[in-house]
Amino acid sequence: MTDRKDFLTREKFMEELYRYKKGSVTRRHFLGVTGLGLATSVLGSAVPGLRGAAFAQGSIGDRVVLATWPNYHDPANFEAFTAATGAAVDMNVFGSNEEMLAKLQAGGSGWDIVVATNYAIPTYVETGLIEPLDLSRIPNFDPSAYDPRFASPGVIEGKTYGIPRNLGTTGYCINTADLEGGATPTTWKEYWDLTRGALSGRVIVHDYQLTAIGNALKYFGYSFNSVDPAELAEAEKLLIEAKPHLFAITSDYQPSMRSGDAAMSMCWTGDAVQLQRDIPEIAYVLGKEGGELWSDFFTVPASAPHKDAAYALINFLLDPQIGAKEQAFHGYPTGDSRVDALMPEEVLKDPVLYPAAELLSALEFGAAVTLTDPTRAEIMARFKAA
Amino acid sequence: MQRQGLRTWLFLAPAGAWFLCMLVLPLIVVFVFAFGERGAAGGYVPAFTFENFANLGARWTAFQNTMILAPVGTLACLLIAYPLAYFLALRASVRWRTLLLILVIVPFWTSILIRSYAWIYLLGGQGIPSLVKAMGLGSIRLINTPFSVLVGIVYGYLPLMVFPIYVALERLDKRLLEASSDLGSPPWRSFLQVTLPLSMPGVATGCMLVFILLMGEFLIPALLGGGKVFFIGNALVDLFLQSRNWPFGAAVAVALVLVMLVTVAAYLRFTRRWAGGRDDVSLM
Amino acid sequence: MESNLNPATEARETPIAELRDASKHYGAVVAAQGLNLSIRRGEFLSFLGPSGCGKTTALRMLAGFESPTSGDVLLDGQRVNDVPPHQRPVNMVFQHYALFPHLTVAQNIAYGLRQRRPRPVEAEISRAVEQALETVRLPGFGPRRIWEMSGGQQQRVALARAIVNQPKILLLDEPMAALDKKLRRDMQIELQSLQRSLGITFILVTHDQEEALSMSDRICIMRGGRIVQVGSPRDLYDRPASRYVADFVGKSNFFPGQIASSAAGRTTLAAAGGLMIAGTAPVEIAAGRTATASLRPEQIALHRRAEGLPVTVVNRIFLGEHTEYLVRHTNLGEFLVLVSRQAEAAEGGFEPGDPAHASWPEGAALILADD
Repeated sequence: MTDRKDFLTREKFMEELYRYKKGSVTRRHFLGVTGLGLATSVLGSAVPGLRGAAFAQGSIGDRVVLATWPNYHDPANFEAFTAATGAAVDMNVFGSNEEMLAKLQAGGSGWDIVVATNYAIPTYVETGLIEPLDLSRIPNFDPSAYDPRFASPGVIEGKTYGIPRNLGTTGYCINTADLEGGATPTTWKEYWDLTRGALSGRVIVHDYQLTAIGNALKYFGYSFNSVDPAELAEAEKLLIEAKPHLFAITSDYQPSMRSGDAAMSMCWTGDAVQLQRDIPEIAYVLGKEGGELWSDFFTVPASAPHKDAAYALINFLLDPQIGAKEQAFHGYPTGDSRVDALMPEEVLKDPVLYPAAELLSALEFGAAVTLTDPTRAEIMARFKAA
Repeated sequence: MQRQGLRTWLFLAPAGAWFLCMLVLPLIVVFVFAFGERGAAGGYVPAFTFENFANLGARWTAFQNTMILAPVGTLACLLIAYPLAYFLALRASVRWRTLLLILVIVPFWTSILIRSYAWIYLLGGQGIPSLVKAMGLGSIRLINTPFSVLVGIVYGYLPLMVFPIYVALERLDKRLLEASSDLGSPPWRSFLQVTLPLSMPGVATGCMLVFILLMGEFLIPALLGGGKVFFIGNALVDLFLQSRNWPFGAAVAVALVLVMLVTVAAYLRFTRRWAGGRDDVSLM
Repeated sequence: MESNLNPATEARETPIAELRDASKHYGAVVAAQGLNLSIRRGEFLSFLGPSGCGKTTALRMLAGFESPTSGDVLLDGQRVNDVPPHQRPVNMVFQHYALFPHLTVAQNIAYGLRQRRPRPVEAEISRAVEQALETVRLPGFGPRRIWEMSGGQQQRVALARAIVNQPKILLLDEPMAALDKKLRRDMQIELQSLQRSLGITFILVTHDQEEALSMSDRICIMRGGRIVQVGSPRDLYDRPASRYVADFVGKSNFFPGQIASSAAGRTTLAAAGGLMIAGTAPVEIAAGRTATASLRPEQIALHRRAEGLPVTVVNRIFLGEHTEYLVRHTNLGEFLVLVSRQAEAAEGGFEPGDPAHASWPEGAALILADD
């Protein structure tokens, strides 16, 4: 009886969670298109009774401000953090690294922690926007628990600027029912050929220079991160050729994939998992030529007003038990082997979340240069305006 | 006299401070930035160059799209808003009028984002096109086209057009229509010779409001155009928030402000002509 | 501005306009009830009454802005109940002029001519406009804007805009209400002479009895949506059919009482304190009924010799050619006496508090039934 009840509760919980996550894309998209990205939620205030405790402990202050991605954290974990430390978590969510960088560059952000993607970290370091971390204040961080491949972008010139948290890939999802018996594609070449062929009018490209241009470069076999003008010119030509065949240029592709308006879209790991759960015909393809592999990092801005609280929160989230709860919430692998050890078998076997090694080897981390390269920005603008 | 002068200053101070801080200073900053250079990691580096203005051509398509869809959208709003405002001001009974006016505003109580998502559904494959298909009229594509952006524009900006026209028509002295009729003019000619000219200030105000706001619109094209319909507003958002090319973004903004100033100047000339050379715009 | 509507050439017996048992109801509100009126070709007729008496409704039925709920409206012998205003050969001068603010003076005046089909040639229109401007004594004002004109000038423009169309009837809705007294007087005289020179039928709506009396050939007095009495100003002044009319047309003193006797055109009223007032009754009233004796202030003489009623002077108002005295009589209470300069010179002036005597010619009083 107890088991059964427990089982039902968990299932129901997952269902609720899933529903919540489905809504997240819309919100992320909103942030992207409005360019505001300031949907702030003061989670700590949900447990006002505990706020007094902060002054009793008196060490880390009463708040910590986090710049992160939408629906990337389980609010329950923040509540627990507030209960334990008295510091409330103010969360600002964003649609892109570019946007976070723009806000941080403008100054006065007041952020204590920024969740940055690998390719943004060098720029943050060069511009002095983030500072090296004092690892002695993060006892829960165990570098040996991470694949160096995912953890290394956080270390620059021997100094650790970022603590790895969550990783994933960028491939594309395709509704195989729309292929009318055709074989499921396996390459980026097929993605762009189908766009201008059988699936014309039903394909989505990300509204995001890194992946839109990177995956166009892959059609020609060039590096995902290329800033070579000749290679970029070819990619631009392909993008502009493809544009009339596109259903949309957007990072909010789930609704259109679900409604059937779109048949194929560039896609991030988490979205692929969510789509597959409801529509089994949707396949997630990692182009054989390669594509993007990414990992996110906790970083602390040099301007952080509540550094003590920032370290405390990072350390808290790195607790494997908390990490497991976070993964249950957002679905992405954390990259922390101690967390993986707590995951059920079927999650670890999911080929979307944990792709086969030979597929992974072809993937590239986004390069810092793409973030600041003006040519790529201009190509994206010309593509969208065309 | 002196005391009165002081009092006038005190009354004007809050508005003046606001005007200075919220409009003049940012405009100066934007103007200065427009002559600067982009830093290596983005942002602004002080410099004095006209390069950003020379590069404006790179956003020509966005300007072009805006300069086509803004007037077309304004016109579409006008064509729908005028009959509606006319009905509300001159035909609807007082009791209904209030209710209908509220209905015109009600959508404004909900975020444009949510309302646009409703349109995404309505215009998407499972919405109107599926109805058209079910009726055997073939398959049509509405969403993510300039047309769907136009629908969104008309929907979003309609109240801004309806209200100035409504006010102009409501203020219209109904005895003028009786006078026109008395002088031998059938109703439709009275409309053309009296109602329409006298509502022109409202029409001009509505058109200017809608047009100016459309010039900076970015949300509707992003949502209902599927990112494929690119306005100058979208170019600005991308320049500031994605590529972080502040100087170029500032140059585009300055160009946009200039276009708007020209529009406002045209509006003032136009309304002054309708008002027959008087300085105030009102006619009554 | 010679009218081509020469009254002599048209059938004189047909009234230019007629209301036949015309009523106008707005739901339960009765604006006009059973109006019967024939308007003669070329006359100047005024509807007179307080606001809400139905005079404007009558005018608007003639103009075509209202159609009667029951009964008929005829213009030139034709039933026009359902003919819209723009097809009626009448023009109106509106209360607040209703000039088109977006048009010049000349464009305002030309408005009616430009509605004609076939449309007259421009030269013809501008000639007519110039002529109309001269008629209303505003030559050269054509290019002006409406808001550049004074109230009196706007009034003239409104008049020109109507008469330029040579309507069969000119309707005037309180046209002088917004003018100051001096201007109003001048305009009244002008309107009257204009009406004579144009030969157009004028129908005026006013609440100003002086205006109606001074300008009209006939006055139609209205009350509560009904016509009370129609007649020439003199008729109404001398022979009001009711106390209401007597009160509305000129000043009068009213003494309530009971009919003591009524015979051979001579009626006697027993007023307060048993005082007998003899007079004529326009409508016969049976003995014993309550009624009112009406005496115009100028019919009463005030003198020092002990003849007539003993009164005390209460107040004196100098009016130039006349002096108006308010006097008190023990039984009749206070009433007005208008003394001419001549009579005052003969008698010597009276001061408030002076004793005096008031008298009137035998039978001068009107004995009126109470409404």
